[in-house]
Amino acid sequence: MTKQILFGAVALGALIAGAAQAADLENVRGGRIGYVLTTLHWATYQTAGAKECPNGFNDGPREQFKILFPEGKRKYSLMETQIARESEGWHPQADNDHGFTFYEPQTKIGLGLNLDGKVGPNDFTSPDGEQGIDNQLYRALGCVRSYRDGQTANDFFDNQEIQKTSYNRSMFEISGVDSLANDDSVEVTWYRGLDALMTDATGENVVPGGSQRIDTRFGKKFIQKMHGKIVDGVLITEPTDITFPWATFGLPADELIRGMRMKLKLTPTGALGLMGGYADIDMWYNQTMRSESTHHQSYGALSPPSLYKAFLRLADGYPDAKTGKNTAISSALRAGFTQVYVLHPDQTVAGDMGTDKQTDFAPVRDAKR
Amino acid sequence: MNFMGNSVSRISIKKAARASAATALCTAVLALSACSGQSGESKVAAAPAVASGPADLGTALRVRLITEEQYFNTLSYVFGPDIRLAAHFAPMRRTEGLLQGGAASAGVTASQLEQYQRTASGIATKVVDPEHRNLLVPCKPADEKAADRACAAKFLKAAGRLLYRKPLTDALLAGIVEKAAANADQLKDFYAGLGIALEGMLISPNFLMVADRAEPDPRHKGEQRLDAYSLASRLSFFLWNAAPDDFVLKAAESGEILTPKGRAKVVDMMLASPRLTAGMRAFFDDMFAFDDFDNLAKDPKVYPSFTGVTVQDAREQTLRTVVDHLIAKKGDYRDLFTTRSTFMSPALAAIYNVPAVPSWRPYEFPEGSPRTGLLTQISFLAGHAHPGRSSPTLRGKALREVLLCQTVPRPPANVDFSAVENPSSTIKTQRERVALHLKNPVCAGCHKITDPMGLALENFDGSGAYRTTEKGESIDPSGSLDGKAFTDVVGLGKALHDHPQLPQCLVRRVYAYGTGGPTSSDDKPLLDYFDKQFAAEGYRLPDLLRTMVLSEAFGEVRDERAPAATSAAAGAAQR
Repeated sequence: MTKQILFGAVALGALIAGAAQAADLENVRGGRIGYVLTTLHWATYQTAGAKECPNGFNDGPREQFKILFPEGKRKYSLMETQIARESEGWHPQADNDHGFTFYEPQTKIGLGLNLDGKVGPNDFTSPDGEQGIDNQLYRALGCVRSYRDGQTANDFFDNQEIQKTSYNRSMFEISGVDSLANDDSVEVTWYRGLDALMTDATGENVVPGGSQRIDTRFGKKFIQKMHGKIVDGVLITEPTDITFPWATFGLPADELIRGMRMKLKLTPTGALGLMGGYADIDMWYNQTMRSESTHHQSYGALSPPSLYKAFLRLADGYPDAKTGKNTAISSALRAGFTQVYVLHPDQTVAGDMGTDKQTDFAPVRDAKR
Repeated sequence: MNFMGNSVSRISIKKAARASAATALCTAVLALSACSGQSGESKVAAAPAVASGPADLGTALRVRLITEEQYFNTLSYVFGPDIRLAAHFAPMRRTEGLLQGGAASAGVTASQLEQYQRTASGIATKVVDPEHRNLLVPCKPADEKAADRACAAKFLKAAGRLLYRKPLTDALLAGIVEKAAANADQLKDFYAGLGIALEGMLISPNFLMVADRAEPDPRHKGEQRLDAYSLASRLSFFLWNAAPDDFVLKAAESGEILTPKGRAKVVDMMLASPRLTAGMRAFFDDMFAFDDFDNLAKDPKVYPSFTGVTVQDAREQTLRTVVDHLIAKKGDYRDLFTTRSTFMSPALAAIYNVPAVPSWRPYEFPEGSPRTGLLTQISFLAGHAHPGRSSPTLRGKALREVLLCQTVPRPPANVDFSAVENPSSTIKTQRERVALHLKNPVCAGCHKITDPMGLALENFDGSGAYRTTEKGESIDPSGSLDGKAFTDVVGLGKALHDHPQLPQCLVRRVYAYGTGGPTSSDDKPLLDYFDKQFAAEGYRLPDLLRTMVLSEAFGEVRDERAPAATSAAAGAAQR
């Protein structure tokens, strides 16, 4: 009798384990699953009423212009006003923001990852209590209205262009996946994709199950490998320099995040979480200047020269070998991904039918590429 | 011609058809074009003429309204593909499973005529505009600001022959040319006059209506057959879904098409033409009732991946599969219901849950896949389901009616749907839900013939996506079809493949489509003959088409004034 109960329990356990394993491997084909980037925001902790910015938000181009060139004082030339300010934006220096006061968030709470493994005096504590969060970029952006989540043009358009513009197509594929719940060793490869995203009937929501061809035209610049693991359904990767495209309003621009690592909650249909690393200051600034024209900067009260000066002050990583000055700033991105089939160049493609089966890609008869 | 009525009796159609031979243009007509889309397609060595088939009554004389697709296909072949406009005409009434059957009883309302006129005006304007006139008008007027009867006649004679599907009589042509000239002089623009004449031709019954005309059959005294031009049109609209080209019309003009050898030559050329693909796409689009897809939508909250693109691509996928299998590969028709080969697009791939590269590519589901045959394609699964859930009943009904030519009775008017529409929350699966039908004797009669095979498709939700569970419950996809039990959809595909009525249904639909009207019990001997030939030839569609169009019956005319039995006996006795 006892044996029968034991056997029954073992059988039931095996059944449950089998079912769990099937669920763990949903949309995993040949040990691989891909995710395409669909939402992207700089991770800024903010509260209702902006309590973290007790001094208010920083001035933008419009406000600074009024201070620099007050009406009625004298007649200014175009060269010494608008053109000069544009030039200062495109060629920032440590001392060309005319001494404007810059407000940083006054809070100990911040979003991001512990990049250096230490708990330092300038680090933040995450909302759920993790200490040692490295995100000095938040100090620069936290009280700039343009980077307040969901409130400004910059935040809105930068994110929107991630979906709408195929130029910005970034994705990653995890290989060697034994389980989406726990796997102590997986390989992750970042790619640039070529194709538009598959959306629902509204055109606004990306649906899983689309396909993306890898863009191989730029070689390793957009193909970067990293090692990782999956712990309780969370993908955690080791630091790797990652370059990815992020252009807004059609002007090509890239971001370079040094030592980037991901911490993403995985499901068979998507991934959501944080990407942290040290953002290359010059790449970051260039990307912003190319993506946001002065009128967008004005709407979002984003003063590039002031921001650049803050970057130089707050930069905390990757010192230049000659000058010793840091060239990168710790940062974090809130990122969302949707499951996608990553099509490799040598793959004539395609697969099987069920969502509950794990099958290697089968060749397509007569497929021509 | 009765443009206003909804239906016309066969006798009146017959009279109208005969009268229409002398029909003059109903509106001002002016110009003409010479370029034709003559296929001049491959000169195919004529295969031996097939046996002419058993004695048959032939078909009634019919007047059919050309379909929207036939309209634009014809104009594309005559004037070039860029001449097409984004216009839509009123749909036909589905009759005996086919829209084509409704074309023989379609009327033209005043608003429809207005649509035809508006479209004709746009097309005629394009044909003679500066971008097209040098290519499409084979001559230049002596003065662009005045009439040029000789040049106008050259264009109108050639275009008129292709549009009216027979040469214009001298009197008819002269009348159209005079209209063109009068308008050119009045407008001081040769091409404007020519365009108005062409517009008139495009709204003429001679173009819009396909009228069968009969003549005495010299081989069977006392009987009638289609005249050469009517036969040319019947062949062409059937096989190409467009008016006959220059090659076919020449065969009609010479009378060659009326001889067995001559008809075989024409038919073999038509079957070898790329236009056969358009013709058979049109047939299967009609047979599968894909016109319903114009209004197909799913609840986006339930099926977010199912979009308008999915609807278009699902229809296209099935048509591509059918044409590739039946025409390109000359495959067995029955294998369409077991094949794993198809074509894939990105929009469909999201629901099939497979990778896909942009654009259409050949695709083969792997061995062991439940995606076997047309029943497991999104067009069938989503096309016969509710907006927010699957429907074993709708799928079973479609299987019987569309593919087996059976009739499933409509539900009684006073049926109580509450048990299935608002079932107990404890009911998880569609199998449990439709089981409620069987508890009510009023419902059970019909649901017993639809649900058992529809349930085998329950591994696919209302959008066509694969699933193994429904609301947490495992799905049981077992079922049966007319005494054959199976455990899953693969078994259903095999049972349908082996069902004797599957190929028979196709035969009936194809013949009805080709002759422009439903078959009747009088056609049984002929259809039985086609069934046997179809089987003997390995269920190959091109062979079936050839057998049908080369049969005597295809070109014979039924005298509806004579009792059927007498007429049939008389016809048989004379052979």
